[in-house]
Amino acid sequence: MSTTWLPCGQYHQSYAEDHSWWQTRFIKGKMILLFVILFVVIPLFADSYGLSICNQIGYTILGALGVQLLIGYCGQITLGHAAFLAVGAYTSTLLVLEFPWPAVLVHWGLAYPISIIAAAFVAGVWSVLFGLPSARVKGFYLILTTMAAQFITVDFILTQYVSQIGGRGQAFSLPPGTIRVGPWVIDSDLKVYFMMIVLVILAVAVLANLLRSKVGRAWVAIRDNDISAEVMGINVVKYKLLAFFVAGFIGGIAGAFWISNLAAISPEHFPWFWSLWLVGVILIGGVGSIHGTIFGSIFMVVVIEALQLAILPLADIYPKLLMDFLFIKEGTFGLAICAFMIFEPNGLAYRWWQMKNYFNLWPFSY
Amino acid sequence: MALSGEQSEAEVLLELKDIDMRFGKVNALAGVSLKIRKGEIHSVIGPNGAGKTVMMNCINGLYRPQKGDVFFKGQRINHLRPYQRAGLGMARTFQKVEVFGGMTVLDNIRLGRHVHFKSGVLSGAWYMGKTKREEIEHRQFIEEEIIDLLEIEQIRNKPVGMLPYGLQKRVELGRALALEPDLLILDEPLAGLNLEEVEDMARFILDINEEERWRVTCLLVEHDMGVVMDLSDRIFVLNFGNMIMDGTPEEVQNNPEVIKAYLGEEELYATRG
Repeated sequence: MSTTWLPCGQYHQSYAEDHSWWQTRFIKGKMILLFVILFVVIPLFADSYGLSICNQIGYTILGALGVQLLIGYCGQITLGHAAFLAVGAYTSTLLVLEFPWPAVLVHWGLAYPISIIAAAFVAGVWSVLFGLPSARVKGFYLILTTMAAQFITVDFILTQYVSQIGGRGQAFSLPPGTIRVGPWVIDSDLKVYFMMIVLVILAVAVLANLLRSKVGRAWVAIRDNDISAEVMGINVVKYKLLAFFVAGFIGGIAGAFWISNLAAISPEHFPWFWSLWLVGVILIGGVGSIHGTIFGSIFMVVVIEALQLAILPLADIYPKLLMDFLFIKEGTFGLAICAFMIFEPNGLAYRWWQMKNYFNLWPFSY
Repeated sequence: MALSGEQSEAEVLLELKDIDMRFGKVNALAGVSLKIRKGEIHSVIGPNGAGKTVMMNCINGLYRPQKGDVFFKGQRINHLRPYQRAGLGMARTFQKVEVFGGMTVLDNIRLGRHVHFKSGVLSGAWYMGKTKREEIEHRQFIEEEIIDLLEIEQIRNKPVGMLPYGLQKRVELGRALALEPDLLILDEPLAGLNLEEVEDMARFILDINEEERWRVTCLLVEHDMGVVMDLSDRIFVLNFGNMIMDGTPEEVQNNPEVIKAYLGEEELYATRG
């Protein structure tokens, strides 16, 4: 931390101050304002459509955080993260639907929260399993082994075997009322929103704290130079696997959270394209930055929504646009990534940082 | 091969016994033996390609020699991985700087203290209490002992990748020092530095070797003969994987074989300043 600009005349007098998150009163004020917006303003004023977009953004953030951790902080390129979201979602669904919960837990609405934690652990362990090759291979080769995670998990195990549980075939339907957190039945966008915002804040806080402690430094060291990391006393394999575990853990939470927003869950919710999409999110937001994950998620979701809105009136003139929307969406995705790679390779987070600097140093920016 | 001169009576910190390291048919090290005693600055010299860096890699575990044993603090460490050797108190710097370019100077040095941090994942995620106390304790150590010693206060929050080469070398030394090592392996710490930086670096090496606070035993690989002769307690001469001699600087300077193999090429290895 400690890279915060301090206003003139304000100095830290202890290391604890220099290590804290919100170092000036201005920053504290900004953060409180942000929390007020998140917890009061948006729920009060946003309609169901707006909330559903927020939920989509939250889901993307939760999914992309794991990718950011692996690619941006630990340097382990992954292209199969949707697999761990799927594992989380399926674990949670199966636990809620099939597990013989004691009546007490169901009564208190604890079945779903417990299943989220279980899903996180299962996804974490599953992720470690596919992280094992990282002990041996790097870079492009690792991309292929992580893609294997996607195809083995979603296209093979989930589609061929897990979907057959209970004889349902393709999808598991989640009847209304099955998803309960404590006294609340999660049945509206607003309730999903509150759950999302709590989970996102927890996940961001945990990841940010990890990154400023021993574990996070070890991850970044492995990303920057794995040989000297090992020489400096880091057990490289252990920390790589730990990164895979934490990424899978957060992915599991993301998947388990998302079923609260779905009426049914099938392997089609977790295509390989979604893994690629999450990598695109962090490329656009900024690799190696938690801010970047959030900005990237907002950007991607909002741009696609705006595109959809823009195309609806055009569809009257040229109806094929609606049919081809999937292609337009993917084309935009590719175009956005190309544009960012060329014009702003450091992503939106860097732009944010520049803007902050501009205002912090204004009017004498030297 | 000549072993001469009075070797001090201090305890042996590191011992290599008959190390053989081959890459295919290339004999990078052939039966090299070396004893480093506590408190020494022990230099290794030799022409390019003599196997100096290979020897360092064998010592800190990046390479596994085919034959021979490595003892550290009386313990056989052949089977230990580099990170385990670091845990025993062995740190090193590299010939080409191998800093963590994306991290700040402070984080690089903090990372050097990795083996001294005790808190785990859960307490790190929570960060209150134990982890926070620990972070602040170590921060204090880093600021007061290392950043102060190496005179890098003004760059502590800069990403290391953006610093000039000389400062990167200094940060790398700081990172190795943060481990509070018993043995510090310095692989060409002066390569590529200008005269002023060389003088600074030589002073730091003497400081950490002689100051009561540190008393670090140094294993120095260097081409700058002036610095090597001035700093070293003993010098080990290597030529194409073979040990030529191990003795005091005076003995090395007067040894005809060494002069022939190395010092004789005055044009190439003339000292600076």
